[in-house]
Amino acid sequence: MRPQRKIGLVLLIMTLILAACGGGQSSNQTGSGSSTSEEKVKLTVWHNFAGDDLRAQTVRSFIDQFAAEHPEVTLDAQAIPTDGYRQRLSTVAAANEMPDVFLVYAGSQSAEFHQANLIQPITEILDAHPEWRDSFLDGAFDPYEFEEGQFYSAPIAMSATSMLFYNKALFEQHNVEVPTTWDELMTAINTFNDNGVTPIALGNKAPWVAQSTIIGAIADRVTGTDWFVNAVAQQGAKFTDPEFIEALGYFKQLVDNNAFQEGANSIDNTQAEQYFIQGNAAMMISGAWTLTNLAASATEEQMKDIEVTVVPAIPEGRGEANTITGGAGGGMALSSRTEGKAKELALELIYTMSGPEAQKAIAESNSMVMYDTEIDESKVTPLYYKAFNLVKSSGITPVYDAYLSAEAAEVINNGLQEIMMGGSVEEVAQRLQDAQARSATP
Amino acid sequence: MPTAMRSKGFIAIALLPALLIFLTFVIVPVFWSAYYGFFSWKGFGDATFIGLDNYTEMLKDPVFWRALRNNLILVVSSIIGQVPVALILAILLSKNSFFTRFIRSAVFMPMVLSTVVVGLIWGYIYHPQFGIANYVLELLGLESWTRAWLSDPKVNMLAISIPINWANIGPYMVIFIAALQNISPEIHDAAKIDGSAGWNKLKSITLPMIWGTVVVTIILCISGSLKAFDHVMIMTGGGPARSTELLATYMYNSTFAVYRYGFGSAVSTMIMVISALLIGLNYIITRRKPS
Repeated sequence: MRPQRKIGLVLLIMTLILAACGGGQSSNQTGSGSSTSEEKVKLTVWHNFAGDDLRAQTVRSFIDQFAAEHPEVTLDAQAIPTDGYRQRLSTVAAANEMPDVFLVYAGSQSAEFHQANLIQPITEILDAHPEWRDSFLDGAFDPYEFEEGQFYSAPIAMSATSMLFYNKALFEQHNVEVPTTWDELMTAINTFNDNGVTPIALGNKAPWVAQSTIIGAIADRVTGTDWFVNAVAQQGAKFTDPEFIEALGYFKQLVDNNAFQEGANSIDNTQAEQYFIQGNAAMMISGAWTLTNLAASATEEQMKDIEVTVVPAIPEGRGEANTITGGAGGGMALSSRTEGKAKELALELIYTMSGPEAQKAIAESNSMVMYDTEIDESKVTPLYYKAFNLVKSSGITPVYDAYLSAEAAEVINNGLQEIMMGGSVEEVAQRLQDAQARSATP
Repeated sequence: MPTAMRSKGFIAIALLPALLIFLTFVIVPVFWSAYYGFFSWKGFGDATFIGLDNYTEMLKDPVFWRALRNNLILVVSSIIGQVPVALILAILLSKNSFFTRFIRSAVFMPMVLSTVVVGLIWGYIYHPQFGIANYVLELLGLESWTRAWLSDPKVNMLAISIPINWANIGPYMVIFIAALQNISPEIHDAAKIDGSAGWNKLKSITLPMIWGTVVVTIILCISGSLKAFDHVMIMTGGGPARSTELLATYMYNSTFAVYRYGFGSAVSTMIMVISALLIGLNYIITRRKPS
């Protein structure tokens, strides 16, 4: 009996020792961390510029620049791939362990972080550089001004989500005018269909695509921006109003006239871009990301036929023509737990990553910014240069999912897929109204 | 007797660390998530206790029922599509020749592939414009059968179940081969002497001898199909218009797309309850059969 019990005891003790060892190690680590913090400030920065594309490299180079200029900072920069970025942030948010500086998206994500007191204003660094602050385009701070005069981030990207890309060669070959009004668009769609060319390429497997690129532009032309803002606030306007039903009706008209290729709901946006660039489709309504993707994958031969313009006007509608849905994109935010010397340096890091030089460099890496800057034509692709100037000369109207609650955005995303599958416009409008009403009046 | 007692004590102590790990990382989170199911919680910030509201909302949500129906379609299709096919393959391929080894590896191969790869491959097979599925149908003169397999709500669940079955047959086949090789040769000899062969022998000797294995594979099939997530997430993401939503993707989409951790936790608790019910049911049905 005795020896066995001894073995058991020994095992138990060994387990405890092992556990103690584990604890000891981790406390050692934190100990050494805090002892060096007297001379060195530790900063963590999280962002999603993890790829090999030009923009990601540009942003990372500014982080490196900051690290080089500030030897007193131990900078822990984590580039997290975009697909998992949102979840990673949500996870650390749940544990209230945000990094000091991190990229937030404009819209519901940053609003939720603000509500949960996870971020603090960066107004002081903006006020310290007034010429920088004033060079942002109109509306750049809209998604980040949670209290009057308090800005929680400065955008380093702009989303322009509804440009009409078209294949000039196909239009010439089939003798079709580039559409500037809805009727002309319908004529173009019918002509292309008669000739066996897909009129509009769409990859709506991830269901935000049709919402982000098409419905925002159509609906704004029909209802006007004011109506949408009221409907989002659920004040004096509802998504069941006749004007919104009409807007969805225009989308249904596209579906009924076979504007999109078959199975658009089961292929993704990149596949649709490939389909379009290979000359299978005459048009594609898409956002600035398509510029980046095409620049990376298409040949020069393919690119020379591609032009870009705005979505056609709807003359009967109340909204303005010549607009593009878009707005401020993501920006760097500051954790509410970062204080003192670390906060000062964190603000400095935000300035390095989103200051005038960074904005110009990002714009010259073929991606849109919400900042008034001149770009060097020779440094960017011709299509991007056209789009950059198109956006500068067009009005900006809201993207639906940037303003709707997360739940309502999900409803309209799936609702558009449903309409594409023959669903009823009124039912989708009703469900969107219900979802938005739930979140507007908690 | 005292020796047995002592070794029991020793076994208990030796099992303790593993048990602790299992408790902390499996059992506790299960109850934890059940607990969160009673809250309205965004994943951060304050949680509000709302009682059974998440559950009543779920039961009223048509998407939940569609997800459950889709899961049951998967369960049925994998029990029909995986277990018998794996058994037949195992019987045909249990001999050890170069040819059978080659086929065995071929059947097992998709299991080794990452599910993401499987999802992408089949996404391309089903591609509405360039997909090989439609191309083959056209070659055979069946133009009227071609369709957008993953976006047509009438067929998309079926279309999804095919790659899931394809990818999962391998391990069941291996399990069955192992079980078949465990039947002692004397029994086969006795069967031969009694004049039993072919279907008769399969029904009266082989199947009863490996019945325990069959039950286990069916349980694995049920729990595997209820947990199914990755293939669907890659191929359709639960769409279009939530027509291919499974319980797991329903949970994922409710949790991460609309920030409702409380609701998502309620859904995952529900998944567990449903799995337990189905496996219990399976246990009752299969227990009575062999006798």
